[in-house]
Amino acid sequence: MKVIRSRGAEIFDIELEKDLLARNKSLARENRKRFDHSKILAIDIMGSIGSGKTSLIKAVLRRLGLGKEVAVIAGDLTTAIDAERIEVEGARVIQVNTGKECHLDANLIRQAISKMKLDGVKVLFIENVGNLICPGEFPLGAHKRLVVTSVTEGPYMILKHPYIFREADVIVLNKVDLAKAMKVNPSQLEKDAQKINPHASFIKTNALTGKGVPQIVRALGLGS
Amino acid sequence: MPYALCQSVKPMHEFSISSEIVRTVLDTAEKNNGKKVLSIQLEIGELTHLSGEQVGFWIKELFKDSVAEGAEVKIKTIKTRILCKACGYKGGIGSDPEDSFSHLALPSCPRCNSFQFKIEKGQECILRRIQVAK
Repeated sequence: MKVIRSRGAEIFDIELEKDLLARNKSLARENRKRFDHSKILAIDIMGSIGSGKTSLIKAVLRRLGLGKEVAVIAGDLTTAIDAERIEVEGARVIQVNTGKECHLDANLIRQAISKMKLDGVKVLFIENVGNLICPGEFPLGAHKRLVVTSVTEGPYMILKHPYIFREADVIVLNKVDLAKAMKVNPSQLEKDAQKINPHASFIKTNALTGKGVPQIVRALGLGS
Repeated sequence: MPYALCQSVKPMHEFSISSEIVRTVLDTAEKNNGKKVLSIQLEIGELTHLSGEQVGFWIKELFKDSVAEGAEVKIKTIKTRILCKACGYKGGIGSDPEDSFSHLALPSCPRCNSFQFKIEKGQECILRRIQVAK
């Protein structure tokens, strides 16, 4: 900061030029350096409330079969429900409770990784708070971002929330087995996704049966 | 189960960012021996989900009982500016004068309609300057 001018003997302007949202971005870059240094592939899993983020993570963990070589940070307002569901798959888990904050931020991730033993971890999944609005604005330092929406939310989620889907490397449409009952056309949602983000992979899934999970594993660069 | 809980004590976006702004203002005033903060200038990007009105409200509330009590809080909106990766267009995304939230809807390059653009401006929350009396 610098003092730039005096408006008389007593009054000063102080130029700050401080972007308060920049702090999260710089913490995210630090997290990313930490992951790169430890050779950990970090994946930010975002999506609407109840879209199936936890179920998808469980299905991916089962497919990977890497046990303790995978770590998961489960984010939610309250409770450890997500962490407990994930723990049974054998991964290392930590639950982060944000209280009322509706998204994870880079600072919370930094705190979480400082509390975890990450030796031998190859992949870190970060399950963000269910929300298609705010998480897109708060990068965490992950290498890849996956955004899940499901057919039970109706046909307009991608059109209504373009900014978060623009940020995604992988877009998942879950619960496709219910598309007919919901009168939702998955192909239309795929077109919406490709319109705003032609570079993202678009994968249709049923997390409970595992349909689409091998494609997710490949799209995230985790093998097959 | 081996987990640890990390608590965030910030209840909502506007309140938490206003708290940070107030802290920065008061620290700056103190470091510069300011006896009173007369005004602050803030610029908020229109793509952030921050309501200028609510941010201003919380800042004024949090300024009470401090050297910044009663300070004028000036808030300007930073309009979106994009760089189109398809055609090289640099500029705004245009907005519907009938719809004050049109910039948050599905945006595309005004020149070539591509969705492949980089956002250069509109996502900031900048505390530009403060005016203090010694």
